[in-house]
Amino acid sequence: MPTPTYIPLQTITLGSSASSVTFASIPQTYRDLVLVMFSKSVGSPTAANLKIWFNGDTGSNYSNLRMYGNGSSALSGTGSTTFFESWLDSTAEFTATNIQIMDYSAADKHKTALTRANLSSLQVQASTHRWASTSAISSIEIESSDNGTDLFAVGSTFSLYAIEA
Amino acid sequence: MQSIQTVTVGSGGAASIEFMAVGEIPDTYTDLKVVVSGRCSTTDTTATLAFNTGGTYTRRTLLGSGSAASSNTSAVDFRISQSGDTPSTFGNSEIYIPNYAGSTTKSYSVDSINENNATAAFQAITAGLWNQTAAITSIVLTPGSGNFAEHSTATLYGILAGSDGTTTVT
Repeated sequence: MPTPTYIPLQTITLGSSASSVTFASIPQTYRDLVLVMFSKSVGSPTAANLKIWFNGDTGSNYSNLRMYGNGSSALSGTGSTTFFESWLDSTAEFTATNIQIMDYSAADKHKTALTRANLSSLQVQASTHRWASTSAISSIEIESSDNGTDLFAVGSTFSLYAIEA
Repeated sequence: MQSIQTVTVGSGGAASIEFMAVGEIPDTYTDLKVVVSGRCSTTDTTATLAFNTGGTYTRRTLLGSGSAASSNTSAVDFRISQSGDTPSTFGNSEIYIPNYAGSTTKSYSVDSINENNATAAFQAITAGLWNQTAAITSIVLTPGSGNFAEHSTATLYGILAGSDGTTTVT
């Protein structure tokens, strides 16, 4: 029998703009999570620093390694303040961002993820991420910016799926 | 995630791979995913996709060649193996299309390689946008030149998200 994949857990659809959304009480019965974001911003034309926090931890326990292209140059960088860094744009399209979080329910390892972020008018990015905690992930907060002025636009959707091993 | 349709290219190749005729992809899913195993009959490693009919596509790609990395906005959506690549190898691609039935312009995400047992082979990630707001009801995949070679395959999957529930929105 085929193994179920992409088991739908929850979707958040914004009926009004918001600075963050949270998936709470994530069940601990699966192996991996997939988060699919279809979003854009209202506020600054290019709102960088889309961020993700686990279990309410906004401390310096995150790191990432990114490679990205802007249409003319191939670039790479690292970050140490957030699990995820990407961009939204109030003047462009709703962007497609996919994040796969491995072994989210394990309590014996740091949490890692692979992401793909896309904004055809600005950049394309692939990145890897670590949360330096062995705690199982029970909540995910997605923040639109770190300055409090850029919001997720109405119609942005955030869908969380589970994958069984 | 459910399989909607698989197309396998037969003897003699095919100029394109088409999922459904225009109007036939059901709107009952949230997102679509296309998985391609492709090889070209010519020395071309490039391929494009087309939704429905008309519209304009824009793309931003990060490309690795085995010796260098670069970025471009070329009219290429994904990579396939070419006729000079290692025999029996096929390039692999995943194309993710969120909110394909929605009323906004359609963005898509592509991860792609052309398989070749040599130092030169391409791997690419692409951010794409189709500037139309119509629901996507058909998808056509086309190599940059020539045909998809025999045994190339492409599968279209539908992904259904969970319902909106109790959430915290601030």
